[in-house]
Amino acid sequence: MKRFHILLPLALLAGLVSIVVGVSVGVDLGRGEVLRVLGHHLSFGTLWTPEATADRIVWQLRMPRVLLALLVGGGLSIIGAAMQTLVRNPLAEPYILGISSGASAGASLFYLGFLPPLISKALSMPMAAFLGGLMAISIVYVVARTQGPRLSVARLLLAGVAMAALMASITSFITLSSPDPDKLRAVLFWLLGSLHTATWSALPLPAIVTLLGLFAMLVLARPLDAMLMGDEPAANLGVPVEVIKRILILLAALVTGVLVAVSGAIGFVGLIIPHAVRSIVGVTHRRLLPVCFVAGALFLLWADLVARALLPSEQLPVGIITAICGVPFFLFLLRRNEYGYG
Amino acid sequence: MTLSRIVCCALLCGVLLLGACRAPSGNVAMRPVTDDIGRQLEVPASIDRIVTFAPSVTELVYAAGAGHKLVGVTTVDDYPPEIEALPRFDALPLDFEAILALEPDIAIASEQVNNPNDAATLASLGVPVYFLAVQTFQELPETIRRAGLLLATESAANRMADSLESSMKALRTIMAGASSRPTTLFLIGDEVLYAFGKGSHIHDLIALAGGESLTASFSNRAPILSDEYVLLARPDVIVGAFGEDYDPTRLLHIHPTWDLVPAVRNGQVYGLDGHLYLRPGPRLVEGAWGLAARLHPSMFRQAP
Repeated sequence: MKRFHILLPLALLAGLVSIVVGVSVGVDLGRGEVLRVLGHHLSFGTLWTPEATADRIVWQLRMPRVLLALLVGGGLSIIGAAMQTLVRNPLAEPYILGISSGASAGASLFYLGFLPPLISKALSMPMAAFLGGLMAISIVYVVARTQGPRLSVARLLLAGVAMAALMASITSFITLSSPDPDKLRAVLFWLLGSLHTATWSALPLPAIVTLLGLFAMLVLARPLDAMLMGDEPAANLGVPVEVIKRILILLAALVTGVLVAVSGAIGFVGLIIPHAVRSIVGVTHRRLLPVCFVAGALFLLWADLVARALLPSEQLPVGIITAICGVPFFLFLLRRNEYGYG
Repeated sequence: MTLSRIVCCALLCGVLLLGACRAPSGNVAMRPVTDDIGRQLEVPASIDRIVTFAPSVTELVYAAGAGHKLVGVTTVDDYPPEIEALPRFDALPLDFEAILALEPDIAIASEQVNNPNDAATLASLGVPVYFLAVQTFQELPETIRRAGLLLATESAANRMADSLESSMKALRTIMAGASSRPTTLFLIGDEVLYAFGKGSHIHDLIALAGGESLTASFSNRAPILSDEYVLLARPDVIVGAFGEDYDPTRLLHIHPTWDLVPAVRNGQVYGLDGHLYLRPGPRLVEGAWGLAARLHPSMFRQAP
């Protein structure tokens, strides 16, 4: 418990440092220019006047991108943690259960013009992604249900893997049959997972949805702890297990859908981070979820930072980096820690 | 049981024999040639039936005066209009069966698009594949002459090559008098900022058109530029293979921070017909003239 109280302020400090480093990496702007821009904006324009181009680069391009990285990384991590509790299996993750692929399929169907824009374009794409993700996970869930209300974990994972493959094929099919080569390139790039489209105006929706997801899960922290022991023990403790499962699935589809719509399907964050965090703070959700959020946020921010530092003048999809950095680390962790699950 | 086995064996032997019968056409005179990527191959001494594997190659074959010998082109070909009546086949991946059905004497491929492994497959089926390469923009007329030599249409190919050469020379002479060489960013996509890196023909084309290409030093052949790179590089002109009817305000809409870029501020953003620039073929020269008119409008203003 003591350890946890030190950990959170430390994480927040690390977050602040990472944000400053995050907006400093990229094409060279000259000494002190980044700090000048930050000082200018944090003092509400009273201090210093930065050079206009540097201001655009730091405040309009890098800052929203850094904040989006934090949101997406944090959001995917808590959803991963929730999914793992839901199915009581360490393999669960939005990517593996088909939610990300379903969301990608929905979003690319909309982007390539196969679905009509219902509301504004800014809201329709996350909506299409949410519905795609929800449809995928619902089918997986229905398939995985055995007689009565119980879930078969093996079926859930198998159905999830199969659904992910099906959705990926649908996405590939509609992408390749698109007549517009420019859009095709854009979709292929986005499917790899990239944060390059971040703008200030694109931030509020993912921020609201992700923080809402975190808040809802924190409220459910105690029932989630009970569910780690199994459905029946949890039900005996008075936890409405089936209702909570449905809420979790809905939350997972909502958060993943919105995040996929802005950043594409970034894999492995939701798988790796909860495992790493569990080995440090344990499995209690009241600690696990906030630390997961911060750790996932920082991980994606640094992964994107690596992507931008490797090719400062070019774009490298961050999904490639999360896989390259994340998977070896994950394998190392698996080898080192023999922690029991639940 | 035994009977069915015997029948099976007989059928299998029959298939193998049939396969052995399919030998390359025996008594056609062949001659050895080396193609543009250094592969040694044998082609028929007289070539009457040609298929091409890329739109740029089709245009080069027409430029070399051998268009009338074409018997099939890919489904993505769209120029010149004469190809409308020709049979089509899929290019990516190559539809081997449809190609064989056209009974070509030779297939001409592009080193940028096609795979040498496919060439080996076709060669084993009796269709020699010649790779044609436009290594640099300056080499374009020479490539057309080489194609003319291969396809026995030298005089027509030389005429076309001479005319392209004199057109390039004329443009170079005009541009020698240009007062400035605006830095030019050539984009392939406006959302995902694909551009040309090192070794592309586009940099020479831009130089001939009186500009200076921004992305010539990228070691990646097809870099995807970041928004901040463009902001800092401050191109004077941004042109893209977005089509002639491109709305320049779209670029600022997608990249709102670019209002500081000189090209955007001064309204020097142009959509171009990509076929004239992306295809390493004879129409590159037409493209260079078109780009020159955009980069130096005052030098091309028609006298009243």
